Amino acid sequence: MLSTASADFRRNEAHNRALVAAFREKQDKARHARPQRDLDRLASQGKLRPRERIEKLIDPGTPFLELSSLAANMAYGGESPSASSIVGIGVVSGRETIVRADDPSVKGGAWYPLTTKKIVRALDIAIENRLPVVHLCDSAGGFLPLQSQLFPDKYVGGRIFRNQSILSKMGVKQLSLVFGHCTAGGAYIPALSDYNVIVRGTGAVFLGGPPLVKAATGEESTVEELGGADMHTSVSGVCDYPAASEEEAILIGREIVAQWERPRKWDIQREAPEAPAYEPQELYGIIPDDIKKQFDMREVIARIVDGSRFHEYQPNYGTTLVCGFANIWGYKVGILANNGVLFNDSSLKGGHFIELCNQNNTPLVFLQNITGYMIGRDYERRGITKDGAKMIMAQSCSRVPKFTVMCNGSFGAGNYGMCGRAFDARFLFAWPNHQIGVMGGDQAANTLVEVKANQMRRAGEPIDAATLERVRTETLAAYQEQTSAYYSTSELWDDGLIDPIDTRNALAVAISASLNAPLGEAGYGVFRF
Amino acid sequence: MALHLKLAGSTHAIEIVRRKPTLLLRVDGRLHEIATPDAPDALAIDAAAFSFVRALEAESDRETAFVRHGGRTYEVGFVDPRAEIAAHDATHDEIHAPMPGAVVSVHKQPGETVARGETIVTIESMKLQTALAAQRDGIVQDVLRAAGETFEKDEALVRLAPAAEG
Repeated sequence: MLSTASADFRRNEAHNRALVAAFREKQDKARHARPQRDLDRLASQGKLRPRERIEKLIDPGTPFLELSSLAANMAYGGESPSASSIVGIGVVSGRETIVRADDPSVKGGAWYPLTTKKIVRALDIAIENRLPVVHLCDSAGGFLPLQSQLFPDKYVGGRIFRNQSILSKMGVKQLSLVFGHCTAGGAYIPALSDYNVIVRGTGAVFLGGPPLVKAATGEESTVEELGGADMHTSVSGVCDYPAASEEEAILIGREIVAQWERPRKWDIQREAPEAPAYEPQELYGIIPDDIKKQFDMREVIARIVDGSRFHEYQPNYGTTLVCGFANIWGYKVGILANNGVLFNDSSLKGGHFIELCNQNNTPLVFLQNITGYMIGRDYERRGITKDGAKMIMAQSCSRVPKFTVMCNGSFGAGNYGMCGRAFDARFLFAWPNHQIGVMGGDQAANTLVEVKANQMRRAGEPIDAATLERVRTETLAAYQEQTSAYYSTSELWDDGLIDPIDTRNALAVAISASLNAPLGEAGYGVFRF
Repeated sequence: MALHLKLAGSTHAIEIVRRKPTLLLRVDGRLHEIATPDAPDALAIDAAAFSFVRALEAESDRETAFVRHGGRTYEVGFVDPRAEIAAHDATHDEIHAPMPGAVVSVHKQPGETVARGETIVTIESMKLQTALAAQRDGIVQDVLRAAGETFEKDEALVRLAPAAEG
């Protein structure tokens, strides 16, 4: 029973508006704050800033859903805003595409380890949703001091080129616009794109630039000779179209995309879109000012879905998991939202509802605020683990697209059942108040203090209260940092933080994008009954 | 499922027949066409103009809507279908623990009056604090667990004094 006039509502609202303001400020800084020196250098080369390139590329008046704008915000001493790479979904010549841009205003566009993680994720999104990709290339290559973290492992540098190849094989088109240098590994981005355009004078593609060639063979060469626009478009065939300027390259690029076949989307149930009857701004007063405080997720659903209409499934059973059907911008979805701990009955209800949505070809939306599956002797005896496992099985094997929003807490195995990062949600967004961890900070500190005290007892030492207090404060401090939404998004455990009131729009763009890929294969593994 | 609204003391069943191009409702078996003119807080029922006003009830956090028509004001209450379902299970004399846990704080003492929706105790379980609220207006008779005490799922935590009939 929510009242927008209550003291709780007003306190929450003040708290969350401050949180969102801080988020907006960080985001604005990551997007726009650059040393003047770097901006001057770009201008003197006649280059546009990466966001200007994107603006000119996408269709006028269409939205651009930026993903992971605060990636790497807590890494590398803040030297790599947005992980030096801009990724988002935009409409180019009428086609939904992934737009991915290097950021030459940061260390010459060098790739940090998290840059490669972000690009790999962008291409995974392209693969999962069959979205064409436009690469805006302008990068000095891998950030050499950290090469060990971005080169050898499976899901870093090399995976970018593997994903590019797989996309091409799937018939999902890629276009590269070469605005600056594509050196070493970076050279393969345009080379593995089905189409590419290169800007005369500033664009260059080569495995080794002039200094490296000189060091290796003693050969003296210029950038133009080694990898310039005219050489590649008339001699080597590495590039397709020369362009006289960045603006021309973008125009040619838009024309290329206009040639591509339009994808046939699968036939989701749709209604005419309708705004929620309840004001989305009221979400600020609903989200509590303390992660431990419970709130009714139906109030959130009412501010996200069309007409605030929610057909609730099993409203009187397993009530800690709210399940039901609704429309988001017209698209029919099945929503699972946490209203407390997952018990045996709520887990079974969740599993059953997921099966209903798969049977009905209805995408799933998970709204997470979960502290876990219920623990304790009674629940273990009733098989809470196998009931949770059924829900995880149904969810993992779903053939319909899944979308996850981290609305508050995400702790323990509840994260798994509710389609956490490991479970291939097509898109996963998080709110700035979100916290995530295998358990809460207090619980981890208490557990570790208990372990430490037991060690002391076993060693026959006296229990040293000061040491225990130190363990507690250190654990709490580490937890506070690592469970925060900023840490989570810094490490790319999500596809970006969003302002809660943008949830409806972000989900709509994500759902629309997901329809480009056909439904997966039906079937499940063995349910443990 | 029909919605239920309370108007001037009696309950009416309302069913949505269609939404487009205009809203068509079946109220107690009769069809009515609803239109929303551009004016704020106004609506037309079978072409007759109504205006409605929301107001806050003093003393509690509850919102009530009032409808004005023909110079008279009517109070309109929405009957929560979930509360209705719950009503079949209990008389709301007792508040039961939705999960095992511990009492964090007690907000109302025996003898105090509570309004529906007011928090009586806050419990914590599995890192989550839940405010347990009165399901109806009444007087607290007993708070069966003090702050810090633990309880099992479904245990009664609060008892309200029985409501007078009628």
